[in-house]
Amino acid sequence: MSQKFENLSALIDGENTQFDMQGNDTIAAIKDDKELQAKWHSYHLVRYGLRKELPNQLQFDIAANVALALESEPAILAPRKTWRDAPVISAVIPFVKQGGQMAIAASVAVAMIIGVQQYNQSDVEQPFNSAAPILGIPGGLSPVSFEQTSTVPQNDMVEQKRRINAYIADHQQQMQLKSVELNPISDVEQQVEKSDSQSNVVEQNP
Amino acid sequence: MWNNKLKRVIRSLTSLSKILKRFAAQFQVGLLSLCLVSFVGIAQEEQSLSPVPENSNPSYPIDNAEGWLKKLSEAVQTLNYSISLVVLKPGVDSQPYLWRHGIDTRGVEMEQLNLLNGPGREIVRVGNKVSYFEPNVPPYSLRSQTINGPFPSELLYNPEQLFDGYEFVLVGRSRISGRSAQQLRVISKDKSRFGLNLWLDQETGLILKMNMVNLEGQLIEQIQVTGIHVSDSPDPFFAKIEQDMLPDILELPNSASNPPRWDITNLPMGMHIVKQDIHRLPMTGDVVDYILLSDGLVDVSIYLQPLPSLNAPQDIIGRHESNTILTRQVGEVSVTVVGKVPAATADAILKSIQVLRKR
Repeated sequence: MSQKFENLSALIDGENTQFDMQGNDTIAAIKDDKELQAKWHSYHLVRYGLRKELPNQLQFDIAANVALALESEPAILAPRKTWRDAPVISAVIPFVKQGGQMAIAASVAVAMIIGVQQYNQSDVEQPFNSAAPILGIPGGLSPVSFEQTSTVPQNDMVEQKRRINAYIADHQQQMQLKSVELNPISDVEQQVEKSDSQSNVVEQNP
Repeated sequence: MWNNKLKRVIRSLTSLSKILKRFAAQFQVGLLSLCLVSFVGIAQEEQSLSPVPENSNPSYPIDNAEGWLKKLSEAVQTLNYSISLVVLKPGVDSQPYLWRHGIDTRGVEMEQLNLLNGPGREIVRVGNKVSYFEPNVPPYSLRSQTINGPFPSELLYNPEQLFDGYEFVLVGRSRISGRSAQQLRVISKDKSRFGLNLWLDQETGLILKMNMVNLEGQLIEQIQVTGIHVSDSPDPFFAKIEQDMLPDILELPNSASNPPRWDITNLPMGMHIVKQDIHRLPMTGDVVDYILLSDGLVDVSIYLQPLPSLNAPQDIIGRHESNTILTRQVGEVSVTVVGKVPAATADAILKSIQVLRKR
């Protein structure tokens, strides 16, 4: 009794050293024994719990649910014979269908390749450039062009995108600067609201 | 007779179509799997549950996660090592890095992080001076104890800082980069942030692999060490650095201590406000109210800006690499949250923002 649980436990832990000789016996035993199946189930559950791998929603008995669904499924009766069942036609129709699916698959593949090509464009430069304005001209870029484009409605989405990109670039930069120790002698900080914190970059020569 | 012939023809036709069908099916499977592979890419990690054969390693006996983190942190700061690693993010080409660290004869820590693809980017740290060499920008230095590399620096240097918000669970052993590794799982206590899977080298304690996973356990981001070399003396590279030639340190002003004009009531567990200021976005020049939140592993930026006069929708949710971007209109301001957090968490943070007073 306890020996068979012991075997099961060893199997689940991967500590069943004589897998070829004994493991198959254990698996065979699990197949036949309801009690062992329950144990198998609970051992795995315990392991997931210990490893913090439990999903948010626990749906334990999938097999039973499937069985239940099958039970309530209406029985499929043999369909009446039609012209499609004639020997040659019945053999050709699936092939035609397959051909159609194949065409779909091929076009998806083409779409994927195009997509991948677009996605794989090196992004490497983009976040790096974002660090540039530390050194840049005080006040950053001129907002003039921004004002002009915003009056044109078609450009709104583009503008929206630009804003989002600006946020992302700034986020990257802020993360980079996070660990930087600030100048302890932060003197005249008459920063009026709306002034730019980066405009006060001072280079100190050692 | 004639009838028999017809039958045979039909039969041969049927068998031919069967062969064709099988061929078509295989071809289709091939195509589909190609699609799948390109879709899923690296999204599926292979969690090997098979046990690594017992090896008589003296450094194994640490049997709690804190011990392993301590070991990691010590190893990262004291060993001479050279590590090649690859960063994989969704929708982005892989990024290979070389990461070297050494202690020179005077006991000064030296570190180098080098992006190996494209125009490159190199960061060199000598003591607490971090120098950046990037394309299109003159080199500059900042004063910092750490390089903000692919691995979160708090994890490498002050793992105990993370205990507020995260739980560390020792999982098991497996084989990573040809070395036996200890796996750790990092889970946010309030399930509001993505989790991590870490694999640490059994022998040295250095990090071998890091997977960021969402709350359903699906892979979001992956860092894989491909080569690791630990030596007694620092890499010859460090001897070649002419320390006097490194660019001067930029002194960033301490941002003005304006009284905060807004308040966040709902911060995820372990998260705190790191920085709060008003600055200009480098790309557009817009002035924003800014808050940086961090829990050590992830940083979240919050931007407040007056509503733009655009006809485009104001409430946006998006994803850039593994960052979640959420913009919402709150009263007369547009609030944006950017960071590697689940959308639900970004939304919870955003909704808890209260404007105390106007500009």
